[in-house]
Amino acid sequence: MSSDYEYSDDDGDYYDDEEMIDGTQDDEEGSGDEMMDNFGDDFKVAPKGKHKSYEVEYESLSQQAVENMMQQDVDHICGIFGVDEDTASLLLRHMKWNKERLIEKYMDKPTSVLVAAGVSLPEAPPPPPPGRTHTNAATQPNSRRPTTRGTSKLLGLASGPKSAKLPASSPTATYATPKPLQRQPSKKADDAFVCQICFNDAPNLQTLSLDCEHTYCTDCWTDYVVSKVRDESEHSIRCMAEGCALVAPDRFIREILLPEPGAPILDSKKGEQNAKTWIRFQELLVRYFVACYHSLKFCPYPSCTNTVSCPSAASKSSLTTIVPTVSCGARGIGSEIQDLTQSQQFGLGLHGKEHIFCFGCPIESDHRPVICNVAKMWLKKCRDDSETANWIKSNTKECPTCQSTIEKNGGCNHMTCKKCKHEFCWVCMGPWSEHGTAWYSCNRYDEKTGVEARDAQSKSRASLERYLHYYNRWANHEQSAKLSVDLYAKTEKKMEEMQITSALTWIEVQFMKKAVEEVEKCRTTLKWTYCMAYYLGRGNEKELFEDNQRDLEKAVEDLSELLESPIEPENIPTLRQGVTNKTVYVQKRNEIVLEDTAKGFLEGRWRWNVKVEGFDDPEEQL
Amino acid sequence: MDARLRRVNKEIADCKNDKTSQIKIELIDESPFHLKGSFPGPEGTPYEGGYFEVDIVIPESYPFQPVKMKFITKVYHPNVSSASGAICLDILKDAWSPVLTLKSTLISLQSLLCSPEPNDPQDAEVAKHYMTSKSSFDDTAVYWTQVYAGGPGPKDKKGKGSGKERDEVAIAGLEKAHVDRFEQWDSKEIDALRRLNYRGPNIAQISDDRVVEELLK
Repeated sequence: MSSDYEYSDDDGDYYDDEEMIDGTQDDEEGSGDEMMDNFGDDFKVAPKGKHKSYEVEYESLSQQAVENMMQQDVDHICGIFGVDEDTASLLLRHMKWNKERLIEKYMDKPTSVLVAAGVSLPEAPPPPPPGRTHTNAATQPNSRRPTTRGTSKLLGLASGPKSAKLPASSPTATYATPKPLQRQPSKKADDAFVCQICFNDAPNLQTLSLDCEHTYCTDCWTDYVVSKVRDESEHSIRCMAEGCALVAPDRFIREILLPEPGAPILDSKKGEQNAKTWIRFQELLVRYFVACYHSLKFCPYPSCTNTVSCPSAASKSSLTTIVPTVSCGARGIGSEIQDLTQSQQFGLGLHGKEHIFCFGCPIESDHRPVICNVAKMWLKKCRDDSETANWIKSNTKECPTCQSTIEKNGGCNHMTCKKCKHEFCWVCMGPWSEHGTAWYSCNRYDEKTGVEARDAQSKSRASLERYLHYYNRWANHEQSAKLSVDLYAKTEKKMEEMQITSALTWIEVQFMKKAVEEVEKCRTTLKWTYCMAYYLGRGNEKELFEDNQRDLEKAVEDLSELLESPIEPENIPTLRQGVTNKTVYVQKRNEIVLEDTAKGFLEGRWRWNVKVEGFDDPEEQL
Repeated sequence: MDARLRRVNKEIADCKNDKTSQIKIELIDESPFHLKGSFPGPEGTPYEGGYFEVDIVIPESYPFQPVKMKFITKVYHPNVSSASGAICLDILKDAWSPVLTLKSTLISLQSLLCSPEPNDPQDAEVAKHYMTSKSSFDDTAVYWTQVYAGGPGPKDKKGKGSGKERDEVAIAGLEKAHVDRFEQWDSKEIDALRRLNYRGPNIAQISDDRVVEELLK
């Protein structure tokens, strides 16, 4: 959807705003609305008109759109500093795309910023006056520096090892200007050249170097760049010489990886790999840019290159009042992964699935209505083994003499420890011998130690049961959501069947599909309501919440049952009526739950029973 | 010829031809990508007189990715793991440059022995020892050099007649009087005291109860 969407200048200005860098969003609401209105028609995911309280405003950007944003920043810097594009983008990347800071620092000490960013060498003279570098860039469309070496191979071998010293400290000032590449023929063109990395001394060896004049053969440069980009996911590629801090500008990398038309064709496999590396490099640049802005997030789905912009969720404090569920708009897995066939994607449950994720945390699904911090806490609790300990506590006791842990799995209260043969009473934990004649019924039940032990035990059991109550329901809905893949397939069959057995057309049986989608959506909501309920503090608010939850759950179960019911030709009209009605109802109930919780967060109505970051401490403790 | 193979062959040959640096590189088996490097311990350090061997594995993407090196010889040094020989050195990680060679890397290792970086340690225990009591650390390093790297041993002529236990105390960088105090508890008192870093000014801060607790673990 975002491929056909034209990136407009207005948005760029919006991001230029200083506020964005700070991640604050106080006065941004107005412009955000405007933005949505302009593009609302192009977006299925963007809510039209007034958005619901449980939805956040966001925008999906294609890689191209983000590149345009980057380009605008670069152009801006070019205009101010009078440097070429490559220098501007290296400077911006060095300052984590914080334009204001860059301008401030650069105005203060341009040389040291240029050196720190890896644009120019240390002890360099100040950058050339504005304008000059532009002409430089314009007159250097081809910065490759093929050098033909006519010297014999023998000579090269002989002088190779001795020329091991690199021309690192070349004192010539001309190399230090921040232009991207050297074009001057090497001064030592007559000497035999041996690449200090691969020790290749072939004549006609093509070589390259950055401004620092550390010259190596083109093959080594290519291998180096490929290794850095593909193995290390590195977007800042420094000169290969030890301790040299110059960073290769984009144009240099492009020329290494993408041969210009007319250049001798490499072997096709290598060429293809290089082209892929170039694509990957561009993606890394975009990812780095996105990572520098709090209001941007890269889509976490495999091989998706879209970015979502959500300024309202950019600050950490905003995450206590909103759940920023967003979608990049794409569906399924990108076509780049050809290894995954359609059926495999289907098996993974990724086929045609919209890329929905949470902007505020790493959960790759919709966790409304519960906020990020609480959802995270819940997932951690479910993963932890802490509940195993809880189980042991509730189901076992320790032998009073040897302290072995014992689970009573039946029989009477007369326990004999397997290990130390100690005989004791399970109820009062006292020695069995003291029971005298009162076999099988403990008359010491109310004595001091017994009361304490029971209290501790029942408390632990109650907390475990409470957790299990919520967990089982949570897991149940999660399981159902996983099974929805099957349900889709089943429903599709049913829809076909209906078209055959009744006079309904394709469009008329779509109500089934709609219902299945709605059920899946509601189950996701329901799942997280159990997490929310587990952590909600007791009180009227919680009761109201649970009432809403119950109504939604009942509606969803009713609809599910209808969907699973067998189809008889004569009752299709009634079924259709029922399903359609119930779908609308379920949709309404879901909205009520989401809207009520979202409003509650905005009003600060919810109280937790545990400490949650950004909220007051709980009054009650569990 | 494969660029990597050509480069490695040349590096090995260069090293053979160079008589001044005292750095040696040998093949371990048939493969030119699994090598053994060795160099003498630098003069004026506790490692003087020892001979240190290093395991070298050359990765597929060498020289664009760094070589993998670890000490075969046991070394008592804050930036070298006393258990595995793993090395903490920037040029073996992010500061690697394709221009660096096996020889230059081995020279860097040699100079690492001269100038430990206890603030960026590989072996926290050794680094703690180095920070709290340099002279005791030096004794241990000399001892390790003697035992594992064929070094000359301590320079003072105390004679080696005091038996095995004394040596163990010295390796751990402890004092015999301290060890004897806790000897009654457990035969692992040297280990425990070493873990607690029972040395120099630390002793005042470690109560006997704490030591006993550690012993009973």
